[in-house]
Amino acid sequence: MAFLTPFFLAGLGAIAIPVLIHLIQREKKRVIEFPSLMFVRRIPYQSVRRRRIRHWALLLMRAAAIALIVAAFARPFVQQSAVAAVVGGGAREIVILLDRSASMGYGDHWARAQDAARAVVRSLGAEDRATLVLFDKNAEENMRATSDRTRLEGAITAAKVGSGATRFGPAMKLAESILARSPIKRRSAVLISDFQRSGWTGSEEVRFPEGMTVSTVSVASPNTANLSVPSVAFARASFSGQERLTVTAGLSNKGDQALKDVPVTLTIDGHEIQTEHVTVAAHASGSVSFTQFTLASPNVRGSVRAGTDPMPADNTFHFVLAPSEPVSLIIVDSGDRSASSLFLQKALSIGTTPLFRVDVTSAGRLTPAAFDKRAVVILNDTMFPPAGGGGALKAFLQRGGGLLVVAGDHATWPQSEADLLPGRLGATVDRTSGRSGSLGFLDYSHPVFEVFKAPRSGDFSAAHVFRYRALQTSPADRVLARFDDGAIAAAERTIGGGRSIVWTSTLDDTWTDIGVKPVFLPLVHQLIRHLAHYEPPTSWLTVGQVLDLTARAKGRGDRADRIVVTPSGERIPQSSAGEGNEGLIELSEQGIYEVRSTGAVGRPEAIAVNIDPAESDLTAIDPGELVASVTGHAMPSGAQAVQTQDMTREESEKRQGLWWYLLMAGLLLLAAETVISNQLSRKDTFL
Amino acid sequence: MASSHATPGARFVDPNVLTRVGNLELLARHVVEGFINGLHRAPFFGASIDFAEHRGYVAGDDIRRVDWRLYARTDRFYVKQYEADTNTNLSILLDISRSMKFASRGIPKLEYGCYVGACLAYLAQRQRDRVGMITFDNDIVTHIPPSAKHFNIVLRTMENAKAERPGNLTVPLKKMAEHFKRRGLIVLISDFYEEPDAILEAIKPLKFLGNDLIVFHVLDPAEIDFGYDDASSFEDLETGEQIPVVPASLATEYREMLQAHIAALTTKFSEHRIDYTVLNTSEPLDRALFSYLSSRERLMRVR
Repeated sequence: MAFLTPFFLAGLGAIAIPVLIHLIQREKKRVIEFPSLMFVRRIPYQSVRRRRIRHWALLLMRAAAIALIVAAFARPFVQQSAVAAVVGGGAREIVILLDRSASMGYGDHWARAQDAARAVVRSLGAEDRATLVLFDKNAEENMRATSDRTRLEGAITAAKVGSGATRFGPAMKLAESILARSPIKRRSAVLISDFQRSGWTGSEEVRFPEGMTVSTVSVASPNTANLSVPSVAFARASFSGQERLTVTAGLSNKGDQALKDVPVTLTIDGHEIQTEHVTVAAHASGSVSFTQFTLASPNVRGSVRAGTDPMPADNTFHFVLAPSEPVSLIIVDSGDRSASSLFLQKALSIGTTPLFRVDVTSAGRLTPAAFDKRAVVILNDTMFPPAGGGGALKAFLQRGGGLLVVAGDHATWPQSEADLLPGRLGATVDRTSGRSGSLGFLDYSHPVFEVFKAPRSGDFSAAHVFRYRALQTSPADRVLARFDDGAIAAAERTIGGGRSIVWTSTLDDTWTDIGVKPVFLPLVHQLIRHLAHYEPPTSWLTVGQVLDLTARAKGRGDRADRIVVTPSGERIPQSSAGEGNEGLIELSEQGIYEVRSTGAVGRPEAIAVNIDPAESDLTAIDPGELVASVTGHAMPSGAQAVQTQDMTREESEKRQGLWWYLLMAGLLLLAAETVISNQLSRKDTFL
Repeated sequence: MASSHATPGARFVDPNVLTRVGNLELLARHVVEGFINGLHRAPFFGASIDFAEHRGYVAGDDIRRVDWRLYARTDRFYVKQYEADTNTNLSILLDISRSMKFASRGIPKLEYGCYVGACLAYLAQRQRDRVGMITFDNDIVTHIPPSAKHFNIVLRTMENAKAERPGNLTVPLKKMAEHFKRRGLIVLISDFYEEPDAILEAIKPLKFLGNDLIVFHVLDPAEIDFGYDDASSFEDLETGEQIPVVPASLATEYREMLQAHIAALTTKFSEHRIDYTVLNTSEPLDRALFSYLSSRERLMRVR
């Protein structure tokens, strides 16, 4: 039973009025002195009491009449059960949204969710149809609209908890589209989930039209205890020509109880390397670092496992390690100045992600072989190297190499190679007289300057520029930076798979002091990373990400067919053609994926996949909040919601029209009370 | 009101009542002992006009009493004997328990009882009877021995009587019985809120000496009719107990019980040759007294 306008129930306070009147009247009663109550006392007391009870009955009649009238104004209606609804209102279209995200693996959440889903199925009438949608980050129509309860229950039983993150948006959108297609007028969705807060941002643009309702069944536990390993960090160091690596695992305790002496074990290639015991306070994070070990070969599989709890999925963190590969680059300068490349060398000698392997040579000594196995070539204020002529540099760029041209006073560029330079170099602009120049515009959308986008992330205006070369770009070139007078400071041109960037001033202290400014180091690093197509090595991916095998194979020049073995052992063959969706693997399981190339020798490529760290946070949102944002009005949640509400509250109330009966009953009761009290008052005014 | 009379309590001797009952006599139904000639029969033979019997002449008899006509017929001397008339003691026993102060309208029962007692005392005093009075509630409150000179004291006692304490018949009446040494006329005025058997047991000792007992049962019209409308708490004047009462539902039963009570008293008193009269305080006193005295006189003649 619910009320459409429950605030009218405040009128129930009016029940106190007849009670008060009764009490006031009783207070006013007279005391009559009588010589002796000898005879009165002899008359059975019950006769007096009976009369008083009859008066109480009258009082109750009045109170009941008021209560009925008040209830009528509050417009009550019965939240019909599914079966009752079938009897009273025809067929229904129901979409059962069953959350199968990784967090549902907590304790008995999944079993309870399945039970709730089965309860909904059992409540279906003969004409009702239901669709089973399993969802995590994505929503899947597991069982199309059917009235076959057996199939639906079988599908629910067969469903399993996945490793995906919780996202309510796609599921709600799918439910809305299924219900919108249905010709049946009574449509509702039943959302069964643990209602993780991370699954609903509030910005999902899902809106159920009027007539579609959403009810919820929450299987969330009130006090959850969950320890997770959300991330692992690696510190690399070189020792005796070998790379040594330190693994540091982060731990997060989302429970209300502190966890003491939790064993945290590092496993490398199936061998338990080390176990540490840590204590993590309630609702706190911690970390544990393991002893350094030498990383010799690629595709080393590792994992960190921490403790045990009702949700084991997030207690293990998988990763794949490989020795780092430094970015090889060569700086070509004019050779007439000993320190012309000093600033660049110093800047590139710092940093581990990536490491830069730098060679410096002069333009005259450069040979075409020097371009081999180089990721980037820097022409640092020098003439066009003769070795680059004849298409050698062009070929280097076509292969995907990167070229940085620092256009100082010595820079020259032959007309024949003009297509390798973004623009045409002009005369030197002298800004030594008067106010020096500065960088006035940066294209923050470009990967080079993207890291400087945030406020206080690099002050380029502090650098003074005294001279620069004029540059005239073509429309195909992208201007990356301009000086304060509008002259181009940097421009980029894409050539084949490679990139060519020109910097119209120097990167030392001759034409500008940018070399001594804090932004110099990140600028140089960003330029080289961009030109070298550097991607930081990923030791793991997250469930839900898509793996592009074709792109990875192209990078290695591998053209063999492949077989992907999922952590659960499923084998997915992939042809090398890479047509359509071929080569794209959605990572839906937690663990290690293996990519085996036919005919290849050695260890297969391994890809570690972990669940979204957000799944470890089991904080639940109020289901009513979610329903309210989807439907525009709140609906009750809880177990009773299994009794699906297939009509809106207004529809239910209007259909049932209980208020009319209540009002009539109240008025009839008042009329009866008036008659009775009048009759009684003739005999007895003590009412 | 009392101040307008020379004698306190004289107001109880209402001229209006007396004009009606003044020519009647309050006569003892039984023989009573007196000192002087009066209206009542004495237990002894004496000088009166009522012939009693003949007896044989013995030496010493007054020869004036010899019935000569009988001597002429029988040739023997017989002396005529006459019944002696005497005066008597009138004791008014007035119940002054709290229930007697009740008055639904008009005068309280106690005042009505005083009127009755005063009128009877006046009649007695007028016919040279001795008048005394006892007021009682649950014990004897005042005791005025019968005397030809106590009429005024009786009136004053009536004036001062206050119904303040709960009543009980047994204890005071038992004590009173010890006071009555001579046969006389006893008028008991009360509302008799006790069980008929208990009342009779209490009154019996008064009859032991051969007293002529007259009982007046004084009731207020509200006690007889129970004509209340509103349900109220009724407070027992005797005990102070309060009971919520809905009169409409009780009235019939109450009236039946009261009538049964009166009927029981009537039966039991008549069995013991006690005059019993119910007085309704709403009725004029003269009518009530006239009715009683005239019927008593009529019964005396029959007897």
